[in-house]
Amino acid sequence: MGRVEPIPVTLVTEPTRLLALGPDTALLRLPANSGHGHPDGDNCIACAGRNDVRAMLFDLLEGAKQGLRPAFKNVVVDASAVPDPGQVVAALTGKLPAQAMRDHTVARLFYLVG
Amino acid sequence: MSQHENAHIPDWNEVRTALAEAARKRILILDGAMGTMIQRLKLTEENFRGERFKDWTLPLQGNNDLLVITEPQMIEDIHYQYFMAGADIAETNTFSATSVAQADYACESAVYDINYQGVLVARRAALRAEAEDGKRRFVAGALGPTNKTSSMSTDVNSPGHRAITFDELVVAYGEAITGLVDAGADLLLFETITDTLNTKAGIFAAQKLFRERGIDVPIMISGTITDLSGRTLSGQTPTAFWYSVRHANPLTIGLNCALGANAMRAHLGELSDVADTFICAYPNAGLPNAFGQYDETPEFMAEQIEGFAASGYVNIVGGCCGSTPDHIRAIAEAVGKHKPRVVPEADKLLRLSGLEPFTLTSDIPFVNVGERTNVTGSARFRKLITAGDYTAALEVARDQVANGAQVIDINMDEGLIDSKQVMIDYLNLLAAEPDIAKVPLMIDSSKWEVIEAGLKCVQGKALVNSISMKEGEEAFLHHARLVRAYGAAVVVMAFDEQGQADTLERKVEICTRAYKLLTEEVGFPPEDIVFDPNVFAVATGIEEHNGYGVAFLEATKIITDTLPHVHISGGISNLSFSFRGNEPVREAMHAVFLYYAIQNGMDMGIVNAGQLAVYESIDRELRDACEDVILNRREDATDRLLALAERYRGAAGKEVAAKDLSWREKSVEDRIAHALVNGITEYIDADTEEARQKLPRPLHVIEGPLMAGMSIVGDLFGSGKMFLPQVVKSARVMKQAVALLLPYMEAEKNADGNATGRQSAGKVLMATVKGDVHDIGKNIVGVVLSCNNYEIIDLGVMVPTAKILQTARDENVDIIGLSGLITPSLDEMVHVAAEMEREGFDIPLLIGGATTSRVHTAVKIHPRYERGQAVYVNDASRAVGVVGNLLSKDTKVTFIEQVRAEYAKAANAHLRAEEEKQRLPLAKARANAFKPDWSNYTPPQPSFLGTRVFEDYDLETLAKYIDWTPFFQTWELKGRYPAILQDEKQGEAARQLFADAQKMLKQIIDEQWFHPRAVVGFWPANAVGDDIRLYQDEGRAEELATLFTLRQQLSKRDGKPNMALSDFVAPAGTPDYLGAFVVTAGLEEVAIAERFEQQNDDYSSILVKALADRFAEAFAEAMHERVRREFWFYGASETFTPEELADEPYQGIRPAPGYPAQPDHTEKTTLFRLLDAEKNAGVTLTESYAMWPGSSVSGLYFSHPESYYFGVAKVERDQVLDYAQRKGMAVEEVERWLGPILNYIPGPTIVAAE
Repeated sequence: MGRVEPIPVTLVTEPTRLLALGPDTALLRLPANSGHGHPDGDNCIACAGRNDVRAMLFDLLEGAKQGLRPAFKNVVVDASAVPDPGQVVAALTGKLPAQAMRDHTVARLFYLVG
Repeated sequence: MSQHENAHIPDWNEVRTALAEAARKRILILDGAMGTMIQRLKLTEENFRGERFKDWTLPLQGNNDLLVITEPQMIEDIHYQYFMAGADIAETNTFSATSVAQADYACESAVYDINYQGVLVARRAALRAEAEDGKRRFVAGALGPTNKTSSMSTDVNSPGHRAITFDELVVAYGEAITGLVDAGADLLLFETITDTLNTKAGIFAAQKLFRERGIDVPIMISGTITDLSGRTLSGQTPTAFWYSVRHANPLTIGLNCALGANAMRAHLGELSDVADTFICAYPNAGLPNAFGQYDETPEFMAEQIEGFAASGYVNIVGGCCGSTPDHIRAIAEAVGKHKPRVVPEADKLLRLSGLEPFTLTSDIPFVNVGERTNVTGSARFRKLITAGDYTAALEVARDQVANGAQVIDINMDEGLIDSKQVMIDYLNLLAAEPDIAKVPLMIDSSKWEVIEAGLKCVQGKALVNSISMKEGEEAFLHHARLVRAYGAAVVVMAFDEQGQADTLERKVEICTRAYKLLTEEVGFPPEDIVFDPNVFAVATGIEEHNGYGVAFLEATKIITDTLPHVHISGGISNLSFSFRGNEPVREAMHAVFLYYAIQNGMDMGIVNAGQLAVYESIDRELRDACEDVILNRREDATDRLLALAERYRGAAGKEVAAKDLSWREKSVEDRIAHALVNGITEYIDADTEEARQKLPRPLHVIEGPLMAGMSIVGDLFGSGKMFLPQVVKSARVMKQAVALLLPYMEAEKNADGNATGRQSAGKVLMATVKGDVHDIGKNIVGVVLSCNNYEIIDLGVMVPTAKILQTARDENVDIIGLSGLITPSLDEMVHVAAEMEREGFDIPLLIGGATTSRVHTAVKIHPRYERGQAVYVNDASRAVGVVGNLLSKDTKVTFIEQVRAEYAKAANAHLRAEEEKQRLPLAKARANAFKPDWSNYTPPQPSFLGTRVFEDYDLETLAKYIDWTPFFQTWELKGRYPAILQDEKQGEAARQLFADAQKMLKQIIDEQWFHPRAVVGFWPANAVGDDIRLYQDEGRAEELATLFTLRQQLSKRDGKPNMALSDFVAPAGTPDYLGAFVVTAGLEEVAIAERFEQQNDDYSSILVKALADRFAEAFAEAMHERVRREFWFYGASETFTPEELADEPYQGIRPAPGYPAQPDHTEKTTLFRLLDAEKNAGVTLTESYAMWPGSSVSGLYFSHPESYYFGVAKVERDQVLDYAQRKGMAVEEVERWLGPILNYIPGPTIVAAE
């Protein structure tokens, strides 16, 4: 059947609270500048999109689809390096504006646990 | 300001030629990042404000584009550095200079000036550089993507929303482009494209300005690929993106930003292969690191880009974010050694795109354009759209694409809706569905404004259907230019001021004239033109029409021969208009017509591909007759086809046609009644239409003749003169008639402004409860009730309680009907009843389905729902009476009193019976277990251990194993097959049903509707107490799994044992084995049944489900036979016919968890795990352990000669506690799953059993 189970995403914001990872878990470490691109005026949409948590989740999915990485059933996002994890939460709960078609895909296929 | 004096206006044609010449000789160099260079200057707020913006209320730092006004010298110097590093072309510092992007700083009023000054600043740098070394430099006016998107929503929860429209973008880009052009930019560069539709608006604005000024500024287009999927931000592949913007006839196409050179390489290679223009690439200096900085050195980046050059991918290269003059210098040096890419010639092929490209190559003989998303072609789609059910309407599109439509036709021309708005809404929603939006769209409307609105919503290259010279040349040219400006291809109808072309001469003449106008006046690419030379009906009895087929075919030949590169399309179904209702003949005509049309050059058509007959497989006689008509080969062709056609009417009509048609002479009311009673659909459209015209209101047709006819059906059914299959066919007729009337009723409703909807006898909500997938019975009850004028809201299968109650409340239903087949559904129904009580419902609750019973309803459900009344309905024929009584004011109270009295009696009787049945304590029951003599018996050994998978099992073989008796039971025809066919009362209904079933069965087999799969396994096993332990291997040391079984606790007489399934397996010491299986008829059943439902054909829908069930059972039977004879060997010598097998005369059993011998459904988990059934057979378990798809069978194989099917019946608390402990499951959970067989009220007190 084509029923697709949404994939749970667990967010970790403190470096000490990293969870043990199971074999089905993909770990995503967000860079400090997640969602911000580069200092070239901070306004390059294409670059900001590159390291947005949604883009990185999409790449995980696409990577698994293309066989570049193992398949996974849940994701732990380590946002401990991100100064404002609120932005990451907002991105994962559909409160940040979508910048790309993939953001719609990610909104449908992932959900934030807790 | 005197800025115009400064402007140097180039000769753009000269610029184009000069650039093209240079680009053919060497790889040209574009500059690097502006932002990175500005960043290095460490500017302050004051720099950004300058004099002009010193009192600005908003902070302006970061608005880099303003610097061309406030710090022009700094920007000029950056340009100059790049030029001196080797750049031939500089991009102006105007990336965000549109009113859309400048709104963030409230600087919209400065947009024109920024663009204008941006060019001047760059030009000054260019002149300085040229003066220094004499090499010519060019200035490209940069146009960024804006920060809003027109082809997707920024809100993931509202995918149809758009933050900006095409028209708004045309205005915004128009202003920016005017500034750039006024200042004399050599080129326009659309860059970092994140949304192709935005760019299409930009191109539209540019071309508008060019046309007004009579100029043609060269355009460069550069998209951005941002992730692993290799798509643009708006989801297109590089090739699809190219097809979408190719109408701009750009000087270059390419990619920039987001990726480093390495990651960009593959995408660039793709573009390089397909684009018949120059390629320009300017990647980032690597990817941003954790500090947001780019750390590719000039040498490293140059090496990567040199790789592009060495592969012959590029004509122009440069750098984006992170690159500097040092990078550009290194790049210029590196690529200088290489020859530029040679621009390939592109064949003149029709190229369209959605998110993915489509090219009509010679390998594709014929493009099927999906017709289901067309309100004029699909009644179902029209209904969904008029009802505003976009979710289901999107599913229609999704199905078409999934079924292979290469292009989908979208048409919203329905008088009762706002076609333009609906077109916009639907396309916007569709754009958010990647699996639909991947194919190109055909925007179809007879209204230009609807087409234009649609074109403004699609980022891909669409096909317009259609334009024509109906309103003269001027309108035609105007529309054609716009189609081209929106970047679409076009269907042109052979239609001019005089009307539609019907003769060969007119068809050819009009198409030739249109071709000349399009190619010579508009510059339309001929490969983007599709002519529709008009398919008209033939065999109408009117002599002039006889030549229509030939005219189309010959015109197709001449047009494709004389007008190079064009395509031919047409609406095929018109051809057979006079044979409406006779699908076999229509299909044959279409197939014959297409056979010749495709040979003559027709390569596209709006057809229902699934319904097309294969030319070769059409009966010779019919084919010849069709050819005679289509090719107009003989004078009596029409008469001969008409005569022949009678023989080919649908199966149901076959006998009718043979019988007399005298009923056609009667009044329209009588004809409708006749059609309903006999289930004849052929004439119902015409008869309903006649009745509608005769009666004052469409509603009267339903309340009058249709309901009169249905009440005859109801009476005949009630008195046992009609049977279920026939009633379901009557319902099919009724539905078709109502579907025809609905639009008129809606129109009437809209006209009066008040609701004058059909007065139904009541609203009934039907649902199969959560965890259960079985719905044949429920569907039958639904159909029967709808025949009796009840409005049915069917929520389908696996419906959670909350949804049932919410819908009941929202829809204000009069009654709820629940269905379920597996035992856990019984508890779920109790739960629904309790929730109804809690939420204050008082409407009646109907209970039905195979495991439900009057006793269960009386004892378990009724007491939980005291506000209302739960009523057990044992079959569909009872449903009408029960619902009627419950909804009638007069009878309701007495009826409920009767039911309650009946239930009280049943509950009491049940209680007494249970008390009388003495149950044994578990220990005593075990002592009385079945004990075969193991010492004198050697259990047979299977031929393999572990699992074996059977895919795509032969349907024809399986059909022989079908046991038909249960099939008739499904339809409430009670009796054994084949005797039932000769039954005095039910015989006729049974024979007709059987004939229909055989016909479908043949189709199922011939057309491979199902793909049955099975997995079978065997393992070493021994009984351990009441359980069966399975081992990894013959060593029997390592345990693989344990299957838990339950023991009868009835007090037995005459020395009969208290059975448990474990008794059939030898204890440790004697090597024994156990087998298991899961078989399924296949996943296809659901989709097929749904397709029939969409066609209002419940009869076929139920039929196919019933047959799928039969196939699953037959498969289980066939597999069991192979197990006995081949795999486990013990029955190698048995010879039973499939008919005999139904009586199970053989040795060994195959009981399933959840059925009487082991009532615990949760044991299926172990069974599924052992077999890996999900992977091996594609069967999954729902939360209630029902199997999905529903037509699946599972079970265990026992080989012992004395094994037999028994029922565990009720169990006591002592066994439940023991079982829970053995199984490692909480007692409460065991009690929940065994609820229906517990012989005690579960609760906290533990009573000693002994």
